[in-house]
Amino acid sequence: MKKTFGAFFVGLLLLVSHISLAGSSVQPLAKIEIFQDEETLKRGVMVYYNSCRLCHSMKYIRYQDLVEIGFSTAEIKKLRGRLTEKRLTSINSAVILTQIYGLVPPDLSLMAKARSQGPQYIYTLLTSYYEKSANIYDNKLFPGIRMPDIFSHSLALNPQEKTKTENKILDVTAFLVWASDPKAQERKSLGKYVIAYLVGLSIMFYFVMKRVWGRLE
Amino acid sequence: MKKVLRWIDQRFPLTSFIKHELTEYPTPRNLSYWWNFGSLAGIVLMIQIVSGIFLAMHYKADATLAFDSVEHIMRNVNYGWLIRYLHSTGATAFFVVIYIHMLRTLYYGSYRSPREIMWWTGQGLLVLLMATAFMGYLLPWGQMSYWGAQVITSLFGAMPFFGDELVTWLRGDFIVGDATLTRFFALHYLLPFIIVAAVFIHLVALHSVKSSNPSGINLADKDNIPFHPYFTVKDLFGLCIFLVIFSYFVFYKPNLFIMAENYVPANPMQTPAHIVPEWYFLPFYAILRSVPDLLGGVIAMGLSVMIFAAMPFLDRSKIPGGSRYRPFHRFMFYAFVIDIMVLAYVGAAAPEGFVIPLGQIATFFYFASFAILPFASKIEEKWLIKRGLPAEVEAMMQSEEAQKADRRQRKQDRRKTKRKDQ
Ligand code: HEC
Repeated sequence: MKKTFGAFFVGLLLLVSHISLAGSSVQPLAKIEIFQDEETLKRGVMVYYNSCRLCHSMKYIRYQDLVEIGFSTAEIKKLRGRLTEKRLTSINSAVILTQIYGLVPPDLSLMAKARSQGPQYIYTLLTSYYEKSANIYDNKLFPGIRMPDIFSHSLALNPQEKTKTENKILDVTAFLVWASDPKAQERKSLGKYVIAYLVGLSIMFYFVMKRVWGRLE
Repeated sequence: MKKVLRWIDQRFPLTSFIKHELTEYPTPRNLSYWWNFGSLAGIVLMIQIVSGIFLAMHYKADATLAFDSVEHIMRNVNYGWLIRYLHSTGATAFFVVIYIHMLRTLYYGSYRSPREIMWWTGQGLLVLLMATAFMGYLLPWGQMSYWGAQVITSLFGAMPFFGDELVTWLRGDFIVGDATLTRFFALHYLLPFIIVAAVFIHLVALHSVKSSNPSGINLADKDNIPFHPYFTVKDLFGLCIFLVIFSYFVFYKPNLFIMAENYVPANPMQTPAHIVPEWYFLPFYAILRSVPDLLGGVIAMGLSVMIFAAMPFLDRSKIPGGSRYRPFHRFMFYAFVIDIMVLAYVGAAAPEGFVIPLGQIATFFYFASFAILPFASKIEEKWLIKRGLPAEVEAMMQSEEAQKADRRQRKQDRRKTKRKDQ
């Protein structure tokens, strides 16, 4: 009876987690894996810096923070040039962007967390442009999107070119994942020790408990 | 040391208190691990209070700054991410622990005489916890925070005559805004301390009636053992296991319980496609939506939370305890849990297609399982007695019957003497 009770709650937990994970969308999301090595992240920063920054800010990221993914102070200085802002702001001002697109494109610092299955969402979004009718482009994941196909992914002439842009998109996605949670690495490595310590403590208390209860009768 | 203790004891009953409530406090030896969840709830409450106080040192309760200040905590405050994820995961853990604690009580019939006051203080604690969680959820000022508060506060508008005034009074504004945020923050800081006080009342009641146990039968003195060291060590072991699981979520899956939408700053001009409350409110939210009339829905939702308080009256069986000796009670328990899961599913899904009738059936079943309990428990009792009960249950029922008869006798005697006096 105790067992059914226990099995029951495991089932309940599984079901609830299943429900909370279930999401539906028009276009199935690409199953990609995000690598967070230094090289990828550095390339990702450059993609953001040279493409996305035209329209998107990343206001929670300071230039100084890039040190954490392996940029040297000199590299950051070179990257900034004569810019005085501390944070990553968009090149075009909000006023101009609103005039062109009718809205200020969303800040990207939290984008990888602000959509469900964020990394997959961003990657799929940028690779889902297609030619709807002659010279009119749309996005399968986000029909009617006001962001143009930055990398001309839909225009790629040959597979090599396509792969090249897809790699770029992977890189920038990796950077956005890092930016949405810069402490993730620290969190995971600290977690190992905390959990190992607690498991050790549990085992110890288990044997103490056996001893103490063994004294009964 | 001894001298100090003596000095204190002359002024404050420290030693006798520890003896009475800990080292000699009698506890049934057959308690299962399901009895760990009460003390776990206390620990989670402490985790929430401590992490919450540290969060409040860096958080800014201002509609223009709140979202940024949370990100500031996550990125710039030393171990801010840890404090914040402890607190956000802690909210989920709190409800998991409390719901298991409640289900254990329902399963084993621990709400029954003489533990009604424990059950009712527990009911009060549940309501306080829900209110605290609801207000806390507004503070990060994300889209779900904002629209969740907007939807739930608007429910008070269903109140006849002065609904609109009530909503405005609650929000401090015509829509959820800065005034709402600051008052929710103030109350979110206050309520946990009221919860602590209520927990003390809960514990005073517990130490007066003592723990129930899986059999539902009052145990003989030889089956009770002192709380310390037996249950201190068992609770510590349970706590460690809990912390292992809790840490896994804090360190590896902290965003599982934070909806993606809530990483988008609140925008009063843009309603999200689906406004979904946190998982721990889903069954009640489903009940709200399943009643076609708004006022009716609000009443049904309120009732669905408060109806637990009626359990001691509804369960009329003479057979002691809960499911141990009562197969139908056990069946009802599992059916009820499945029903809650169905309601949770309905609460999370978009209200269209088969979800609507499913929610209505589940809502009906939810209330029906309370409504039929008085009759079901009586029928079950008769059936079980006819079939014959285990000797220890029989004995327990007889002694209870004898006690009742005794009390009735004494009451009559008193009345008689009174009449004679006149
Ligand atoms: C030419 C301007 C421009 C550039 C360059 C640009 N974007 Fe956008 N982006 C927009 C606009 C405009 C929107 C708003 C789309 C809408 O809501 O219709 C947007 C929206 C987005 C969204 C959110 C979609 C959603 O679900 O709401 C993501 C993600 C995004 N951009 C990623 C990127 C990335 C990554 C890059 C760089 C590779 C980039 N953008 C470069 C203009 C731009």
